[in-house]
Amino acid sequence: MIDNQVKEITKGKVKCLDYTKNAIKRIKEINKDNHYITTMCEDLAISQAKEIDSKTKKGKLAGTIFTIKDNICVKDVESTANSKILDGYKPIFDATVVEKLKREGAIIVGKDSCDAFGFGGFNVNVGVGKNIPKNPIDSSRTCGGSSGGSGGITKKADFVHVAIGESTGGSIECPSAFCGVVGFCPTYGLVSRWGLISYADSFDKIGVMTKTVEDNARVMSVIAGHDNKDGTSLKVDKKDYVKSMKEDSKKLKIAIIKDGLSEGTSQEVKESFNDMVETLKKDGFEIDEISLPLTFKYGIATYYILATSESSTNLSRFSGLRYGVEENKKGKYFDDYFSEIRSKNFNTESKRRIMLGTFTRMAGFRDAYYIKATKARTKIIEEYKNQFEKYDLLISPTMPIVPPKFSDIKKMSALEAYTMDILTVGPNLAGIPHASMPIHKGDLPIGMMVMADHLQEDKIYRLLKRIEELR
Amino acid sequence: MKFKSDVVIGLEIHVELDTNTKLFCGCRTSGNDKPNTRVCPICLGHPGARPVLNKKALDYAIKLCLATDSTLTPEVIFSRKSYFYPDMSKNFQISQYEEPLSVGGAIELESGKKINLTRIHIEEDPASITYPKSAKNSDYSLIDYNRSGNPLVEIVTEPELTTPDEAREFLNKLISVLNYLKIFDMKSGIIKADANISIKGSGYRRVEVKNITGFKEIERALEYELERQKELVKEGTEIVIETRGWDAKDRETYSLRKKETEEGYGYIIEPDLVKIDVNEELIGILKKEIPELAHKKAKRFIKEYKIDKVDAKVMAMELELGELFEKVVKEIDPILAGRWLRRELLRVLNYNKKTLQDIKIDESHIIELLSLIETKTITEATGKKLIEMLIDKPFSPKDYVEKNELAQITSEIELEDICKKIVSQNEKAVEDYKGGEEKSFNFLVGMVMRETKGKANPVIVKDAMKRILS
Repeated sequence: MIDNQVKEITKGKVKCLDYTKNAIKRIKEINKDNHYITTMCEDLAISQAKEIDSKTKKGKLAGTIFTIKDNICVKDVESTANSKILDGYKPIFDATVVEKLKREGAIIVGKDSCDAFGFGGFNVNVGVGKNIPKNPIDSSRTCGGSSGGSGGITKKADFVHVAIGESTGGSIECPSAFCGVVGFCPTYGLVSRWGLISYADSFDKIGVMTKTVEDNARVMSVIAGHDNKDGTSLKVDKKDYVKSMKEDSKKLKIAIIKDGLSEGTSQEVKESFNDMVETLKKDGFEIDEISLPLTFKYGIATYYILATSESSTNLSRFSGLRYGVEENKKGKYFDDYFSEIRSKNFNTESKRRIMLGTFTRMAGFRDAYYIKATKARTKIIEEYKNQFEKYDLLISPTMPIVPPKFSDIKKMSALEAYTMDILTVGPNLAGIPHASMPIHKGDLPIGMMVMADHLQEDKIYRLLKRIEELR
Repeated sequence: MKFKSDVVIGLEIHVELDTNTKLFCGCRTSGNDKPNTRVCPICLGHPGARPVLNKKALDYAIKLCLATDSTLTPEVIFSRKSYFYPDMSKNFQISQYEEPLSVGGAIELESGKKINLTRIHIEEDPASITYPKSAKNSDYSLIDYNRSGNPLVEIVTEPELTTPDEAREFLNKLISVLNYLKIFDMKSGIIKADANISIKGSGYRRVEVKNITGFKEIERALEYELERQKELVKEGTEIVIETRGWDAKDRETYSLRKKETEEGYGYIIEPDLVKIDVNEELIGILKKEIPELAHKKAKRFIKEYKIDKVDAKVMAMELELGELFEKVVKEIDPILAGRWLRRELLRVLNYNKKTLQDIKIDESHIIELLSLIETKTITEATGKKLIEMLIDKPFSPKDYVEKNELAQITSEIELEDICKKIVSQNEKAVEDYKGGEEKSFNFLVGMVMRETKGKANPVIVKDAMKRILS
């Protein structure tokens, strides 16, 4: 746990430099066959470790090993969102999250693999020529996505380690469920997006993936908070989630979203989920059942229309000028040049989403898709808000299935893959905080998703803590 | 088609707002920097960088809406306008679409005709593209992002202008408002326009001329395009509905591409910027900062100072001139002040291609000068000379007149002597006058004025001359 680790480093019992060197060595070993890390940044890590050893005030996260999803900018470290089109791009600034972590003594050792730009749920949509990360429990299966590398390394690292992930439509929860770690996605706007390479700006949220609930709450307490550099950043008071995590959870009113347990959800997922519900009931929780018909009927369509509309504009800037891959421009017209660059360096899924998102906002279709989807989103938010008048927390399985085999993923159509997000798109559309907590009894990881109203992160942490104790 | 006039013109005018920093980042908006140095990750569109609105730019734009009686939106929403072009760092422009900052409003011309506004909205300026040769004949183009992200307001008029003259007057009035609001840099600020032009003869087939930069060029482009369309109609050639560019060097419009519609830009709501309430409190604060505008000021000048209507309007149009006038009339007769400021001062400024902002003119010097004229201490001719000198550098006219003995000669005896001398030196002119040539009289008076270096009182000279010659 971070707490003990920081104490040892702060008291000088452990040299941060030695510890960091060992951690780097271990991560490299893990990474050899698993491909969780796209870029190691040893120089940065070593210099941070030396600095911590030399300082008296070492910070709240002193010496904690972090890896950062590749779509979050770390100054002077290649940050490509795992797309070939950004190969060689080293941002000239730190994401606000990274800046905050560094300030508290975190050691950043590398960038985590993900679906390029966050486009996917299995981390198989990596950039052209890049490696696919493997599930830490069963290497024939997926880590989940899009923050797959973050999930994999968090599970596999046998020392205190935190991954900073990012979710647009479930990209923290899915890999957390599939890898068996605690994944927390905060309220939209609670954590600054400055330095996050955009997927869909009205959805994107940076979150935390850890092995324990307490570590998760500790890091969230550091990275949450207002930032002038992000226009959508919320002006809210800082909270200590470690403290609120320890408060009594029994008074929380909980309801199961029963639409999440329909025939689309596999038997083994239902069993693990129902087992945990029974455990909680025995522990004294009162648990109701509710339904979110609108969200389950229109959620997937609404999400994919809005997210691709936004992402297709965000990806426009990648044109082989100013940063990332660049080729000889001499004698070429701009149109031909950027078309060639984009054709060669975007992967299939990126192209698919650019086309989808361009279609949904084009003349003649915009009203029927984009505008209608913005209205549907408002209705979906209302549907959640109504439930939160009665309940503190909603729960459902995180993913409808256990991590699938790569061979099965190959057989899925794009649409089939998209429907795997059925449980996670809702909270992401609503911008409400949600987390995935490992609850499996068998070998393969299964997650329970816990959701709360905007800015009620503390309530989620309370329940997660109790589940951790009961598990 | 509801149009009736021979010519129909609608304008989309882009005005650069005079803020210190860009619309969505902290980079400065102007300065003589090397290309691509006044830039940051935001205006260069680096991945991970995001926009934060410059509230000053919004305040400026709201003032323009208030000053033109345009109805403000209750909440400001930005949109992304998508198109690929090398001057766009993100390949989308942050603009406003379904909900512009304001709709309606008008600017009134001298004739009383109102030119209605369709909308006013805010957007970011793209980078500038430079070509080693002309745009058409270059192998490559260079991009300078120094301008990228500068704040612009776009003012769209209804198609109600019917001549290039009207368009010019409209622009003049608009610039006057911008100057009064102090939201536009009159010296280095950029004004650009796209114009829609059609004529009755073609059944109002609409042509858009894009990217006309500069006040003068707008009028030139309109005149050129109008003539082109008239010629085509005369020849019986059909006018193509299209977008044309304006070549300022060759002074002609040229075909650019097929007409694209606004819907073709695939607008979405800008998700990186939150909605901003335009509440009564904000409007109240900004309203207080709006001064009395030109048309109201002109009416007040006429009523309060009983000055000439044209003098009043011309002085009111230019903020600095109107302000100078009001300072001067505290000590000088308004009619005299109006006449001298609007005719003489403006004449000299225009001749020297200068504006009141360019020169350091001290109102106390103008007051001294006009009081010398008012008290007839100097002649008007001397006054004109002194005003020309005041444009160049400041000095006290009173001291100057004393030092150089420029006071008017009003002594009848002295002037009669000079007249006699001139008569004796110009026998031929005297003969011609006596033979009935009236012009010769003026010549003789002129010679007296020259002899006295303009100091002679012309009325006394004329009387004396008549007496001598009769």
